[in-house]
Amino acid sequence: MSSFLQCLIDSVLLGGLYSLMAVGLSLGFGVTRIINFAYGEFIMLGAYGAFFCSTLAGIDPLISLPLVMTGVAGVSGVIFELCLRRMLRAPAINQILLLFGTGLVLQNLAAILWTGDARSVSTPYSLTAEELGDLYIPDGRVIAFLVAAVLIALLLWWLRRTEFGRATRAVAQNRDAAVLMGINVTVVYLISFAMNAALGAATGAIASFLLTVTPFMGFHMLVKSFAIVVLGGLGSIAGTLAGAFVLATAETVVAYYVPDGIGWAEGVAFVVLLGVLIVRPRGIIGQAVEIA
Amino acid sequence: MNAAATAHPPRPAAAARQQMRAQVAFVLYLLAAAAGITLPLVGGPLAVDLMLRTGSVIILAISWNLAANAGLISLGHSTFWGLGSYTALLIANRLGLPFVTSLIPAAAIGALVGSGLAVITGRLRGIYFAVATLALSEGLRVVSVMLPDLTGGSAGLYIDQALRPAPRLVAVATTMCAVMTALVAHLLSRTPFHYACRAMRNNEHASQMLGVNPLRFRIAVLALSGGIASLAGGINIWYTGFLDPDIGFDLHITILAQIGPILGGIHSLAGPIIGGMATIVISELSRIWLGEQGYSLLVYGVILVVSIMFMPHGIYGSLRRLAARRPRRPVPVRAREVAS
Repeated sequence: MSSFLQCLIDSVLLGGLYSLMAVGLSLGFGVTRIINFAYGEFIMLGAYGAFFCSTLAGIDPLISLPLVMTGVAGVSGVIFELCLRRMLRAPAINQILLLFGTGLVLQNLAAILWTGDARSVSTPYSLTAEELGDLYIPDGRVIAFLVAAVLIALLLWWLRRTEFGRATRAVAQNRDAAVLMGINVTVVYLISFAMNAALGAATGAIASFLLTVTPFMGFHMLVKSFAIVVLGGLGSIAGTLAGAFVLATAETVVAYYVPDGIGWAEGVAFVVLLGVLIVRPRGIIGQAVEIA
Repeated sequence: MNAAATAHPPRPAAAARQQMRAQVAFVLYLLAAAAGITLPLVGGPLAVDLMLRTGSVIILAISWNLAANAGLISLGHSTFWGLGSYTALLIANRLGLPFVTSLIPAAAIGALVGSGLAVITGRLRGIYFAVATLALSEGLRVVSVMLPDLTGGSAGLYIDQALRPAPRLVAVATTMCAVMTALVAHLLSRTPFHYACRAMRNNEHASQMLGVNPLRFRIAVLALSGGIASLAGGINIWYTGFLDPDIGFDLHITILAQIGPILGGIHSLAGPIIGGMATIVISELSRIWLGEQGYSLLVYGVILVVSIMFMPHGIYGSLRRLAARRPRRPVPVRAREVAS
């Protein structure tokens, strides 16, 4: 029984981190209809940002979070202006390959600048845990869950309550109608792309004290985010949140109950991704998206 | 898009020019084939290595381009490569089959998985197909890590040293395979199969109206593309001799497969070949100028971004456009003024 409860707690805490990770990708896709194949690299940049703030300036990742998010959003803005802006109407395949190439550049620049060594940030709460009877609740994961919840709440507030958020949703629903309403679509795209990068960076900053930071960490995060977003339905934030908890639960259950489960858990995302694509490409909640 | 798709029948002069161009291309192809096969036989280890890599990249590029011709953009060509490598290695180690024989099952498994992929991804298009291929290759990587009894796990496996042929022979086999692959792609480009694929790429619903059954063609295309790519993987393992999941299902292979056609000219016959050679040249140059291995992926990334943004039809497309812009014979001044 306690093993079941422990599994549940772990799933929920992991689900929080996954929600934040996938919401960024989902937002970017929902608005721009471009799958950001460089998303994993924004996560990686966020993780390195937090790492360097912590080691060089001694700033805790939670305090440097806004700084890191702004910085990575700036990088993504430059990428948008340099590359993506002129590719907005190009075939989806070209956009994918473009972002794939951008990700490759960022990844290998990081490998060259900061070497391929695995690093991680040590904070006072990295290794401590609360113990409730038999249950073991790591503090770092609880903090990560809370940060994710706050950021997602802020995002939802922004999307629903501010003028620009409403404009963003309008563009996501119908680009042409939004243009007719006088919304500057390119600016909305730019802001959404930057926000998707900022959310990725926030994920990375949190991950910096939970996982190891390497230049190539982004790719696995990207595929997991894909699995979540596709599972929930492309372009649906509610679906993405549901997908994140489903994947987190599935991974935790496999890790707990399958022999050699920790290794196999790494493969759950791919099985989920392939399975959903084959059985129900629109996901749990998402609308039917037709992409040629 | 494709130059063959001009709406009007070519004028006599243009037809003659086209024929001449085809002959030049054929001679170039024969020269490249002869060079590719003889160089590894006479050259030193460096030439062997270079030809092996060039051949492999060209095979991968043609294979990727075949799928792309039908609108199927693969982000997981390492799936086929890795499967081919593992099959050849396991067949050799378990059954003691020699080099050439081991390649048959290696190619067969790629074709099988390719057609399986076509069936299970039946309704998936564009982005979804690309994401599915990516997931497949990563998933297979995890599986091969987790089944150490079969694959040796992350520690990897060595191929039976007693069976290994001379590196020279492997290189010749690779270049011969590249030559054959180019030939297959060329022959295919003259069949209705090619036109059906192109129709599917441009508009699948319209092609269905014309009596093309997309599923059948998808199966055929992916079986061919997968078989070719895993054949290349199967040959390559005999040269490198060592395999682990990170080598077999390396993202690097996926990138190599797509960078050739994109750099050279997607959806064309010459493009993947030119692009494959250019990729090797660039990676060699970057190694000489920048040192270190880590830069080659960075350079590939830059090439990918730059070619997609500024050269969507690749080197081949740009060359063609240059050739088309240059006047064939001196044009009278007045006519030129009017024309511009």
